[in-house]
Amino acid sequence: MNRRRLLQGLSLSVLSAKFASTSPLYAQAADAQSEPTQPISANDRINVGVIGPGSRGQELIRQLLRTPGVEIAAVCDVYPPIFTDVNELVGKKVPAYLDSEEFLTRKDLDAIFIATPPVFHAQYAIAAMKSGRPVYGEKTLGFSTEDSQNVVDTVTKTGQLFQIGHQMRYASWVRDSVERVHRGEIGEPTQVYAYYHRSDDWRREVPDPRLEHLFNWRLYRESSGGLFEELGSHSIDIANWVFQEQPQDVMGKTSIAVYNDGRTVGDNVQAILGYSKGRHMFFSSITDNRLTGNQVWVYGTHGSLQITGEDATFYRKRGKTITAASHEHAIVRGLKTGASYNPNGAMPYRGPGDPVPIKHYEEPTLTACKAFIQCVRTKQQPFANADVGFRSATPCSTGKHAFDEGLVMKIPQLRGLSKG
Amino acid sequence: MIFQFFHAPTSGMLTSQLYCATHRAMATEYSLYLYAESEPRADTLTNLAFQEIDRIENLLSHYREASELSRINREAAQAGVTTDPETFHFLENCLAWSERSHGAFDITVGSLLKCWGFFEGEGALPSVNEISRERNRVGWHQIRLDPERRTVRFLAKGIALDPGGIGKGYAVDRAIQILKSRGVFAAMLSSGSSTIYALGAPPGEPGWKVHVPLPGAGSKTLSTVTLRDTSLSTANLSEKNFIHDGHLYGSIMDPRTLRPVERTLQVTAISPRAIDSDALSNALFVLDTADRASLLEQMPHVSALVLTDRQNPSYEAIRWPAQITGLPPAQKKTFEEMNCL
Repeated sequence: MNRRRLLQGLSLSVLSAKFASTSPLYAQAADAQSEPTQPISANDRINVGVIGPGSRGQELIRQLLRTPGVEIAAVCDVYPPIFTDVNELVGKKVPAYLDSEEFLTRKDLDAIFIATPPVFHAQYAIAAMKSGRPVYGEKTLGFSTEDSQNVVDTVTKTGQLFQIGHQMRYASWVRDSVERVHRGEIGEPTQVYAYYHRSDDWRREVPDPRLEHLFNWRLYRESSGGLFEELGSHSIDIANWVFQEQPQDVMGKTSIAVYNDGRTVGDNVQAILGYSKGRHMFFSSITDNRLTGNQVWVYGTHGSLQITGEDATFYRKRGKTITAASHEHAIVRGLKTGASYNPNGAMPYRGPGDPVPIKHYEEPTLTACKAFIQCVRTKQQPFANADVGFRSATPCSTGKHAFDEGLVMKIPQLRGLSKG
Repeated sequence: MIFQFFHAPTSGMLTSQLYCATHRAMATEYSLYLYAESEPRADTLTNLAFQEIDRIENLLSHYREASELSRINREAAQAGVTTDPETFHFLENCLAWSERSHGAFDITVGSLLKCWGFFEGEGALPSVNEISRERNRVGWHQIRLDPERRTVRFLAKGIALDPGGIGKGYAVDRAIQILKSRGVFAAMLSSGSSTIYALGAPPGEPGWKVHVPLPGAGSKTLSTVTLRDTSLSTANLSEKNFIHDGHLYGSIMDPRTLRPVERTLQVTAISPRAIDSDALSNALFVLDTADRASLLEQMPHVSALVLTDRQNPSYEAIRWPAQITGLPPAQKKTFEEMNCL
């Protein structure tokens, strides 16, 4: 790769094509065989390499530094100034690579974390697994459905461990809540409503205009699926978990309503995903929010569940609703309504809800990193495996086309489960 | 929201204007004044600074269950907690201040502050037994930092780290570092007025003017200092306190007596780093006159202005760089009567 050209303004789309088609690493890794490995002792140090130590990559590094027995052994990125940030974060000079091929030839790496823009996720994940390393890959699993399927196939073929970066699966209150839903505490879950908002323009500061696409890759379609992919995939994963399947189809709209600043992905998105038995998930994301940023509501036949990034609360009907069928009209708060209107129906529960006890509070990304490192030691497939990643990624990759075309589009299903 | 101010530009800063923004974090309001060439640039810089403050809050707030400090508080009594270098260095700084101040500054006062009702409250008088139970829960000597493994371990159960006397200073330092790295030549960042950092100076000025208030005297000023590339922190009784049987109890604890400090009204310290001025103002608040002098003797680059004695307020000025404009005429009133609340 000509990195000088990248720094002079080469767009990520070009970068992506170059990586995907011609990288010797790609070809070399395809022939590599995973070596049989033994469980790693709890006392042994796990050497981690990170591809893409940008803002999210550095957050992963921060959490790995809080994980006992982990060493940040090397990092790889196309933007050299980022290595200074990594060194400050880690508290020492970390071996740094501009060339991913050279990076993966290091013999001392026990696991690879990938936090590049999603357009590169699949190719690096596949290369790393084929080089014999377990992979923690940030969501989404792939930028296209084919990418995602290829990652799953590689997990199957190599038998490597793969964990997708859906850290909310590791939040104790989310896990407890979903298990309680599966036990029937809100009856049959029928709908999931989720929103995941931002309160700014979603733009990052760029030190040089020529680096706009490198820094603000989230704003351009060639490198980003926009808010639906970056934020919606987390919510879709929870809906998949609740419904215990992946959605069948997707429709929606996205537009640039506020920030006409050259970006090519929307600054808002609304989507509906269809599941079996008439169940739906509705997702919304905007950039002009000034209140709670992230909530998932699960509606069931006997109750509702609210999940946030910090807690979860159950709401259930209490007592029997009294109808107003004997009145022709009822006056509710000065509003003349039809007899069928029942204020209890609009607000069946008026209490504070039933908070889910949090037995072990921990930052979900830290728990996810610890869980992955534990899997690396024990050689067990992670809970949030590649299949989980496929089921949240493909609605996003399909959604992009559905929004463009204004159609309801079928979402491809997983072809063969991974070994996980 | 960014507010714009007019100023007369000088050469080299012809395109700069003064902008101001506020941000709620760490249970206080941060104010940032900065010079920038345009409002979008000011917006960007302000967001970066406030994002960094939020990050520090998420790292150190003992009010947030997800913070790293809360995790350490929960787990360090059972086993050594592996933490990140930033948190580890922060704790090293805290313990260094404890050692330097002979325990007057102590981040382990978290449990003691709860005992006195100052955690999520305005304070309440505990019983003697309740206070004595805190003896084993307070003490920086009961924290073990292992640099090799980067672990934090508490030697006793019930220890709770409270960054209240140092965390805002650290956040100010970090945010200022962000602004410096972006080439900001003049800015002033204040965390609820308790810790202020003055970066550079407004165009044509020698520095940023900061008024040190006279406690209990409304808007009256005790001294006005001009700061440039340095920080100022003030510790006083006015932020959190309660009156019981006519006696005022403040929230700044003496970790050695397990009781609120009685003798000191207000301490203002000036030091190049905000983390130091913040910790120093609290340490000086706890120490008596002789120990204050002893501590400051070792630190030739800091200044302090200490207001003492509730019954007859007087001051100690140590290398203080500005005039003291005097105590109020009603200085013979007790501090409670002065109604500093």
